Amino acid sequence: MKLVRAGKNGLVFQLGSRAKQLLLETIELYPLVPASHHRLTKEGDAPAPDEDQRLLEESLAEQRRENRRQVQAMLDKPDRFRKAKSGFEFTLTRPEIEALLQVLNDVRVGSWLALGEPEQGEEPPPTEENARSLIAMEVSGMFQSVLLAALGVSESPEWAG
Amino acid sequence: MAETEVLPDIERKEKTGEKSDLEPGWLVICWNDPINLMTYVTHVFQTVFGWNKQKAETHMLEVHRKGKSVLARTTMEKAEHYVHQLQKYTLHATMERES
Repeated sequence: MKLVRAGKNGLVFQLGSRAKQLLLETIELYPLVPASHHRLTKEGDAPAPDEDQRLLEESLAEQRRENRRQVQAMLDKPDRFRKAKSGFEFTLTRPEIEALLQVLNDVRVGSWLALGEPEQGEEPPPTEENARSLIAMEVSGMFQSVLLAALGVSESPEWAG
Repeated sequence: MAETEVLPDIERKEKTGEKSDLEPGWLVICWNDPINLMTYVTHVFQTVFGWNKQKAETHMLEVHRKGKSVLARTTMEKAEHYVHQLQKYTLHATMERES
């Protein structure tokens, strides 16, 4: 998938049939991160830790339902994927890109959690389930990078080291 | 986008020992999860706090290199709001009472 132009209705990306299928299959995995994964405080020093945690989880669950709804509506829109010379053209508005970035990062982090939170370079045991998580993690990261680059966020050489 | 008070203010106050009851007392902290893309973290900081790219990158690199970064020092309500926003993007964020 790559950015081809900024149109009047948003940013237009080009992607092949296989990339389209991968994107849809990745989105289908959402949500993967358990709501209980997030904590409001590290040491429970909130005034009402249990209540605050419950509210946090409710709020995140609601947010996920909204993301799911928004992304589904986005995909269901007629002409979302327009047949092009090679593959498809896929148009996204800024708010749609934000929602998609959240969905993709959830899949990426959720897959990483499922793999046992390996450090960079650490290889999880070669099982079928791990292979699925590894692919979801890498594919979601790949789509995220394309979307972020389209928004003008790219890695700087100064970040190395 | 709400304005936030950031670390340099804390450091100055800590050095001079100045404190008042009116000061906000909660820190918003982002912790390093090695899985998050550096570009993604930068983008989220820009989006949630309205920061420019340079400031967002400074905090992102602090998270990456030191394991965490204090992103804001504010009231409890605002700290909760920011933590919710960051977690919405699946970043590892918490709030902590300022000691």
